[in-house]
Amino acid sequence: MTVNRRTLLAGATALGGASFLPTIAHAKGQVVATTYPGTWEDAYRTVVAPMLKKKDNIDLELAPLFAMDQIGKAKAARGAPPFDVFVLDPGPRIVGLEGGLFEKFDAKKLGNLAKLPAGFTDDVGVHVSAQVVGIAYNPKKVPAPKGWADLLKDPWVSRLGITGFQTTFGTSSLIELSKLFGGSLTNVDPALVELKKVLPKIAAVGLPAAMPGLFQQGQCDVMYTNTQTVATLKGKGVDVEFVKPESGAITFFTTMHIAKGTGDLENAYKYLDLVISKDAQEALTKAPYNFLPVNKDVPLAPEMPMKSLDEMAGYVQHDWAKINPLRAAWIEKFNKEMAK
Amino acid sequence: MSITTAAHDPSGPSGHLPSFAREARLRLAEWQLALPLSLAFAALFLAPLLLLVATSFFNDDKITQPGFASWAKFFGDPFNYKVIFDTLLLGLKTVCATVVVGYPLALVYMDLSPRLQKVLLFIIVMPMLLSVVVRTFAWIVVLGREGVVNQTLLWLGLISEPLRLLQTELGLVISLTQIEMPLMLLPLISVMSRLDPNLRDASAALGASRWRTLFTVIVPLSMPGLVAGCLLVFASSTTAFISQTVIGGVRLIYLPLLIWQQSLVVYNWPLAAVASLSLVVSVLTVIAALSYLGRRSSRHLHG
Repeated sequence: MTVNRRTLLAGATALGGASFLPTIAHAKGQVVATTYPGTWEDAYRTVVAPMLKKKDNIDLELAPLFAMDQIGKAKAARGAPPFDVFVLDPGPRIVGLEGGLFEKFDAKKLGNLAKLPAGFTDDVGVHVSAQVVGIAYNPKKVPAPKGWADLLKDPWVSRLGITGFQTTFGTSSLIELSKLFGGSLTNVDPALVELKKVLPKIAAVGLPAAMPGLFQQGQCDVMYTNTQTVATLKGKGVDVEFVKPESGAITFFTTMHIAKGTGDLENAYKYLDLVISKDAQEALTKAPYNFLPVNKDVPLAPEMPMKSLDEMAGYVQHDWAKINPLRAAWIEKFNKEMAK
Repeated sequence: MSITTAAHDPSGPSGHLPSFAREARLRLAEWQLALPLSLAFAALFLAPLLLLVATSFFNDDKITQPGFASWAKFFGDPFNYKVIFDTLLLGLKTVCATVVVGYPLALVYMDLSPRLQKVLLFIIVMPMLLSVVVRTFAWIVVLGREGVVNQTLLWLGLISEPLRLLQTELGLVISLTQIEMPLMLLPLISVMSRLDPNLRDASAALGASRWRTLFTVIVPLSMPGLVAGCLLVFASSTTAFISQTVIGGVRLIYLPLLIWQQSLVVYNWPLAAVASLSLVVSVLTVIAALSYLGRRSSRHLHG
C-alpha cells in the first residue's frame, strides 16, 4: 500500500474522530450546569464540584452565564440544550417556563426534600438560595439612608449609582421606589419621573455588572443591591453596609431547573440533591461566598439580614408574571429618560 | 469536467496537455486552496448574516408572524436615529483622536534606530496583549472620581471638586483612543517604514520646509496606511460594547447597548436584528466613504 495524500487525509480524519471517543465515555459521569459569573461561579467550582465528585463520582462542568443569557442560549439551541441544569431568578424563570425549556420536575427524587421549607419545590424546579435586596452605602462617606426615598435626597443622591430594569434586583428596587410616589407593581413611571428630576446630580448610571466595581472605586457610595454583593465587597475590604429600607427589604428565590431534553437526567437530580444538602448549603453560607441558605438545618450567620428563614415571609415579594410582559417597554423608557 | 479530472489524477503528468489546459488547471488548484476558507466563511458568516436578515422580517418576539413591523418600530422612533448618529459620531471622534495622537508617534518611529523601533513597537502592541475587560477596568481606576487623574489635579490645586470623567463622552473617547491605538499605528507604521528616506532629503534639497515635506510628501504617501488604520479604529470603536457601557455608562446610548438589551434582556430578536443590521449598514457606509476618499487621494498621487 502506498501512502498518498488521500489515505493520509483519511487516516488523519479517523484519528481526529477517535479523539472524541474518550470524551463520550467520560460524559457518562458528568453534569453540565450553569452558574452566575462571579461569586456563584467561584463557590460552585470550589465547594460543590468536589463534593459531587466525592459523593456520586460525577464531574460538574460549570457554564458561567447570567440568567438572561441562559434563556437566550437554550432558546437558540432549540431542543438540544447546551447544559443540563439552569440556575435562574424569578423573571427569567417565567420566560423559561413559557418557552417550555424545563423538564417536568419530580421533587420526590430529592433525598433532602424534607429539609426544605414547604413550597420550595414545584413541578419545574427547586429553590436553592434566597436573595435579599436593599440599599448599600459607604458609612465613611454618607450617613445611613432610611429608605428608598432617601436615595433621591442630598447627601445620598449626589453619591448614588443606579441601574435599570435589566436585572431582578434593579427592577425590584425601582418598583419599590415607584410605590413611594404613587406607583405600583405595574407602574414604574413615578420612579422615572422622580429620578429624572435629580438626574444631573446622580453619580453613576451603569450596567448591573459594573456597579460593584464603581462602588469599590468610590465612583458612587450608595446603590441598591443584594446582601451577597455587600458581603463580597466587605470581604474585599470595601467600606460598605447594608440597610433594609423602611418599606421592607425585597426578597426572591433563586431556583434551579432541569433542561428539557437533557441526556443526564439522573445526574441532574443527584446534583440538585447535593446543592440543597446541609453540607453544601452550610459551606456556601460561609465567607467569602455568603449565600442565603434554603436548608432548614443550616444555621444563619449573625451578619445575615434575618434571624430565621421564616422572617422572610414579611419581606416584599414581587409577582414576576405581571412584571415580565411590561419589562421590554420599561427598559426602552429607562433608556430614553436617562439618555444624555 | 475538469474538477473530476483533477480529483482523480492529482499527480498525473501534465506535460502533454495544451498550455491553456495547464493554465486552467493551475487556476483550479488555486481555487481549491481557497475553498476551505470560503466554505468556512459562507457557513460561519454569510449564513448567520442571512439568518439575521430573515429574523428581522418578523413582527413578534416569538418569531412566528412575518412582516415589517420590527423595521417600522425601529425606524419610527426618532430616538433610534439619535442613537445611530451618536454611535457614528463616537467612531469619528475616536478616529480623529487616534490620528492626532498616533500620526506623530508614527513619524517618530521612522526616525528611530532599529533597536528603539523594536521597543516602541512592543509598547504599541502591549495594550492588545491585555484582555479588553482588564483594559477597560483599568480606565475606571484612572478616570474615576478618586482616580489617578482627579487625585493629581486635586493635589496640584487645579480643581477643588473631582472632575466627572467617567460616564462622559470625553472619558470614553480618551479611553477608546488608547484601547484602539494599535489598530491605527500598526498599518500606519508598516506603510511608513517602506517610504524611501531619499524622498525627504530630495524634498529638503529642493527647498521645501519640514512642514511642507510632511504635508506634500509624507502624508500623501502614507495615505494607504492612514486609511486602513482609520477603518479599523472606526469599526472597532463603534462596536466596542464593553468599553462603551463600562466607561460610558448607560446614559450614553450606542447601538451595541440597544442590541444587547433587545437580544439578551428582552428577547425581541427581530428588533435586535433590525438594530444589528442598522449598525452593520451605517458602519459599512462610513467605511465605504473613507476607503473611497483613500482611493481617490492615492489616484491623485499616482496620476
